[in-house]
Amino acid sequence: MALDPDRIDAEFDGALRRHYSDEEIVELGAFIGFNIGYHTFFGTLDFYPMSSPDGRLVSQEESARVYGAKPASLEKTDARRTAEG
Amino acid sequence: MLVEPLKAEEIRDPELNALIARCEVLGVPDAVFPRILARVPAYAKALLRALLVSHVEGSVDHRLKEVIRVQLARTAGDPYFAGLRSARARQLGLNEETIAAGSARFEDDARFTAAEKWALRYARGMYLNPEKVDAAFYAEGKRHYSEAQIMELGAFIAFHYGMQVFMRVVGAHRQEGA
Repeated sequence: MALDPDRIDAEFDGALRRHYSDEEIVELGAFIGFNIGYHTFFGTLDFYPMSSPDGRLVSQEESARVYGAKPASLEKTDARRTAEG
Repeated sequence: MLVEPLKAEEIRDPELNALIARCEVLGVPDAVFPRILARVPAYAKALLRALLVSHVEGSVDHRLKEVIRVQLARTAGDPYFAGLRSARARQLGLNEETIAAGSARFEDDARFTAAEKWALRYARGMYLNPEKVDAAFYAEGKRHYSEAQIMELGAFIAFHYGMQVFMRVVGAHRQEGA
């Protein structure tokens, strides 16, 4: 859905139905769509988790250092994986 | 269609039926999307309520949101949401020419104000060039909108785009079989 929605075709549909009901497909699809929309929006707002991985409350500056100030986008991550084989 | 909409008589939750009725009055969405979502009633109620609130309520002009919504649907490649129109926006004077202009070269179009052009760039950039929606871009937006209005626009853009991406894949088989 995020990177190549055209691949969600009849063949993919057949595979999906071997594992999930209509209700579960709707649940998954709506959840994924919601996250595609919101994570890109959140990415433009330049904010970071309030806690470090060990549970400490940290400033936004420290959190940016911990989690990375410039997280790789989906496309960049995908391109790197492809390049790395 | 990947998942068929339920028939109207199969949806018995009165709260969900009331939300579907509100959607049908507005025209966005029509009955198809809600009846697909209705397979998961708790999701359907939360998502339809959010669709309605983000589109109709708030302090940003509903007509501008409608132009943005159609632009986003075209970006998402979703003919279903791109083909729907808000009855309320039409009643407020929004015409098809302005909707089309919002998906075209709006920067040069005198019918849009500087603030509206920023909002249209916000929607277009969010999913086509998100790296350009940076601190400088938001600083420019704050010359036109309050922070509350920018969050209203951003949340509206994110939510509607996400549902359009979902509908694109769910509705794919309807197009193939049409």
